[in-house]
Amino acid sequence: MSTLAHVAPVGAPRWPALIPPLMIAIPLALKSAGFPVANPWIIFALLFGLMLTGMPISISLGLTVLTYLFTMTTVPIESVALKLFTGIEKFEIMAIPFFILAGNFLTHGGVARRMIAFASSMVGHWAGGLGLAGVMACALFAAVSGSSPATVVAIGSIILPAMVKQGFPPRFGAGVITTSGALGILIPPSIVMVMYAVATNTSVGALFIAGIVPGLVLATFLGATTWWIARKNNFPRQPKATWPQRWRAFRESAWGLLLVIVVIGGIYTGVFTPTEAAAMSAVYAFFVAVFVYKDMTIAKVPKILLDSANMSAMLLYIITNAVMFSYLMTSEQIPQELAAWMLDKGLGVVAFLLFVNIVLLLAGNVMEPSSIVLIMAPILFPVAMKLGIDPIHFGIMMVVNMEVGMCHPPVGLNLYVASGITKMGITELTVAVWPWLLTMLVFLVIVTYWPTLTLVLPQALGIIK
Amino acid sequence: MKFLDHLEEWLIAFLMGAATLLIFVAVVHRYAAGLPIPGVQDALLKIDLTWAQELCIYMFVWMAKFGAAYGVRTGIHVGVDVMINRLPPDTRKLYVLFGLLAGATFTAIVGTLGATFVWDIAHTDSVSPDLELPKWIAYLCIPLGSYLMCFRFLQVAWTFARTGELPHHDVAHVEGIETSDINPYGMADNLHPADATPSGGRK
Repeated sequence: MSTLAHVAPVGAPRWPALIPPLMIAIPLALKSAGFPVANPWIIFALLFGLMLTGMPISISLGLTVLTYLFTMTTVPIESVALKLFTGIEKFEIMAIPFFILAGNFLTHGGVARRMIAFASSMVGHWAGGLGLAGVMACALFAAVSGSSPATVVAIGSIILPAMVKQGFPPRFGAGVITTSGALGILIPPSIVMVMYAVATNTSVGALFIAGIVPGLVLATFLGATTWWIARKNNFPRQPKATWPQRWRAFRESAWGLLLVIVVIGGIYTGVFTPTEAAAMSAVYAFFVAVFVYKDMTIAKVPKILLDSANMSAMLLYIITNAVMFSYLMTSEQIPQELAAWMLDKGLGVVAFLLFVNIVLLLAGNVMEPSSIVLIMAPILFPVAMKLGIDPIHFGIMMVVNMEVGMCHPPVGLNLYVASGITKMGITELTVAVWPWLLTMLVFLVIVTYWPTLTLVLPQALGIIK
Repeated sequence: MKFLDHLEEWLIAFLMGAATLLIFVAVVHRYAAGLPIPGVQDALLKIDLTWAQELCIYMFVWMAKFGAAYGVRTGIHVGVDVMINRLPPDTRKLYVLFGLLAGATFTAIVGTLGATFVWDIAHTDSVSPDLELPKWIAYLCIPLGSYLMCFRFLQVAWTFARTGELPHHDVAHVEGIETSDINPYGMADNLHPADATPSGGRK
């Protein structure tokens, strides 16, 4: 069984190969023939054309900027090149490698296993049994991890085989975990939120706090869907745990749960900056994995450091090039022109948010969340500000959009991870996730048009006005 | 060549671990120095760790540049591969080669820009604010990392041109469930190009 679900056979049509060159060539040809093609069209044609050829997103961003600078503009190349060197010299950005490292220690360190045991002792006796426990365990793990695919790996690789053994249909388990794993980027800490904060100069701490209520609501929604399907089909339940059993399961998992308090509490009270909290949680996770739970040997540490560095470097490299790209956008006044155009057309908040949702959901079909946020946020954010949308609300809405994108093909990362664990094909998984995916879409509409849900907690805590 | 590979791996893993420890120590120090323990407090107050943040940033910038080069070798960089993965293998091969060579071109340009930049500031006395480290040393990672990345792109392109195979951490190779082998960003999804062999890398 392979995860390569969408690789074409030998006889597949060749004509789509013509799209990227045409995309780039037509606007350039029109421009040189004397037609008034505006510069933004050239930039976007170049970017999307290069991206479609399948080269790394970071390279297509960088090449777009360089090509544009060399041929079309008088902006001195040195000033842009400087961005390439100084683009990631911000301490907030460094939270990303730390959260990735912490997440890797937690995944391998036995934290997930104990969270599942605790969750299953609390909710396992209700309809949905282990499935419901899976939703709760994903929510708990999401509160210590900043990545959705990592949550699917950590919880799914333990709970999915157990569910199949208990007699759940494989599709049900895969559907639950693929979608609940998406909570990883909504419940703080969240790597995607750090990306949004970097791209728009918003406060990481405020975004984290704002993610809590929507995260819990979405977890409840997904849990309710699970419960309803399981009750209808009469799926197996767990024996009801006694309170002493629950207490023992809680104490076992307390080391992991404590991390939630360290990160969120630390940031909220101002004990740590978000980056420091990330570094502390990496050290803490290492300590718990190696010395408390002893699920990981110290010999595995270098491999985990290397893997974390590999993944972090890939994301940081996209950031570097995205910073340069957004500098180009700003110096060409593209977001301002877009904002002026939209206001001119009388586009209100409702229509704009609908437009943003559609654009982001479409982007979710071809790119992963970090790239989408880094490219789209600098363009859409100034428009949202002009329309008076709250920056935190806008950020959380983008994150929920990214969650939806992670759960459907052709590129949903969670789907591919789940497919790796369950050995199910992508097509079968796509069918498996739809009840939960529909729930998420309903939730997306709520988050988009009811800002109070997002803003109530940060306002109550006095973090934002 | 093996030596270069190991040096690269060792460097980025070390920077990752060291930066984490550095920030941990700096935070612990900040709070420990506030505790009124006789003797210890004075000793702690004498140690100045205000440069920790800056050093952490430089360590991660170095890690990012060399890690990006390592990432080419492990095939981790994400792209939009939905369209090319639906093309027949021989057509896809052209696009993948184009992408790899574009990567080599871009990193070569950036490396050269970086080298000029480093050369220019090496002739000034500009130093970083906290560490007072000459800036050209801090920025040396840009030409070094970019040229290394360029080399890696060419290396991968060369292997790919001959065999049609790209580097993967493919989850499909794993028998049984071993979480450590599932790399969410290193799989054969549509964020990475498929091999240009007739099977497209399928087992």
